[in-house]
Amino acid sequence: MNKIKVITGLMFSVLIATIFTQSCTTSKMIEQKSGAQLWGENCIRCHNMPSPADFTDVQWATIGLHMQDRVNLTDAEAKKIVDFMKSAN
Amino acid sequence: MIRKIILLILVMGIGKSYAQDTKEPQNDGTATEVVTPPKEEKSHFMLRGFAQFGLDASSDNVEFNMTSFNPVILYRQGDRFLFESELEMEYMSNEFSLNLGYASASYIITKGVTVKVGKILIPFGEFGEKLHPSWVNRMADAPLGLGHDGGMLPMADIGVELRGGLQMGKSKLSYSIYCVNGPRLKDGTMGQEEAGMLSWENMNDNNKNKALGARIGILPLSNSSLEIGFSGYYAKPGNSTSPYAGDSMNMDLNYKDVTALLTAIDLSYVKQIAPLKGVIDIKGQYNMSDVSNATYLKPGDTNRLTNRYTFTNSSTAYYAQLAYRPTMAGNKILKNIEVVGRYSVYNTPVGSLWESTQSQISLGLNYWFSWRTVLKVGYQMSDGVPAGMSGMSMGGASMSSMSTSTVNTFQIHLAMGL
Ligand code: HEC
Repeated sequence: MNKIKVITGLMFSVLIATIFTQSCTTSKMIEQKSGAQLWGENCIRCHNMPSPADFTDVQWATIGLHMQDRVNLTDAEAKKIVDFMKSAN
Repeated sequence: MIRKIILLILVMGIGKSYAQDTKEPQNDGTATEVVTPPKEEKSHFMLRGFAQFGLDASSDNVEFNMTSFNPVILYRQGDRFLFESELEMEYMSNEFSLNLGYASASYIITKGVTVKVGKILIPFGEFGEKLHPSWVNRMADAPLGLGHDGGMLPMADIGVELRGGLQMGKSKLSYSIYCVNGPRLKDGTMGQEEAGMLSWENMNDNNKNKALGARIGILPLSNSSLEIGFSGYYAKPGNSTSPYAGDSMNMDLNYKDVTALLTAIDLSYVKQIAPLKGVIDIKGQYNMSDVSNATYLKPGDTNRLTNRYTFTNSSTAYYAQLAYRPTMAGNKILKNIEVVGRYSVYNTPVGSLWESTQSQISLGLNYWFSWRTVLKVGYQMSDGVPAGMSGMSMGGASMSSMSTSTVNTFQIHLAMGL
């Protein structure tokens, strides 16, 4: 039992350290991601990917808020994805 | 507590004023024919949800069941406020139950911070909050220990939560931190065979102290394909007074200092892999529950010298699941087929009256009619000594001496996202 806790602690610290070192570098690549790409990367993680045509603009606004909350998407991701869904439906 | 509430109201107020500077579409009136962009509805009401209907067959039982019909109501006001709620209607083993799955209001205070109040889904691990709907779950049922009945984890509770997602360089951080009523310790006064269990159905709290929990999810890869989550949950589940207050023989028994600490690690990796011509979906979660030791009374024993027992109150439940769907296959039918396998284990405390060890191998073949309608055909092999069988093994006699039973079940379920 204790071993597991130590291993978890170690994994956690390594991950946090990685993130902090990474966050110092600029993330142009992230900023330049399109809504379509973010949709492809994020909306497949729990369920199959809905297509933009599945819902109307108003519905996408509501779903976008629902998924931003459930998934903990960043604001930029949620906005780009919803804009893409609305433009491609 | 009061200070916290005032702070929360203040924070919400600041968020509100920040929300008011949303852009209005501008129209300078110079064009002869003005095309006004369609005005977005300020508020929107939406009814969704999911249902699952199926047949389960084992060597001694064949049964149709309706494992879920869960309407979900969403209401959006503007672009920051959302109310969501889920009703759980279940018809199983001749019993119909209606439950409020969750009902919560959330508000985006500022970038990366959402505040949520109400009966919230508890973000402990990944399964309960993010994978439980029948059209999301790739298997016909929940992994052992993670389901609604007899599960060892909190599913939903009343309280407050702060959550959000933050970009950190190429990685992402997903966090949730919450304070809820918390579980109640079954001290044995109502059903001695369950003494030491945590009861999650606890809408009226039995004490002043609240449960605190958090989950930190780390998405180290820039394409979000991998998420590793660490969850912790701490509560004092005992009654503040002894349940045997009037009983001179047992009034020394008290559960007010009992603590419960739950921890979990979860992992999710989902990626379309070109050489494999499809999507690989790996999910797993390892959960531990440690409740501090306490002394309980043996059923039917009134002898002051022998009627007490204690045990190390630790439970574990874990599962690992692998699914593959050839989404890039040329054939239209093949594209919609998914194969999935899951291994899951649930162990309850040795020495308790609800001691059990269970393990399960589940194999499934799914056919997706649409992105959220699926026919699941499964075969499940379950091994174990179910709770209650080891009743009097308290304080010694190991479970290995008990005969384990094996049940093989064939399942065919239709799940729909509505
Ligand atoms: C972390 C898991 C997860 C991810 C990632 C995810 N979803 Fe969901 N999604 C869910 C769950 C769980 C539900 C069901 C909610 C419920 O019924 O309580 C859902 C429901 C939905 C629904 C049904 C309507 C609704 O709002 O309930 C739509 C549409 C949807 N998701 C779209 C998306 C889109 C678009 C994305 C990409 C931004 C996405 N999802 C990413 C878990 C996820």
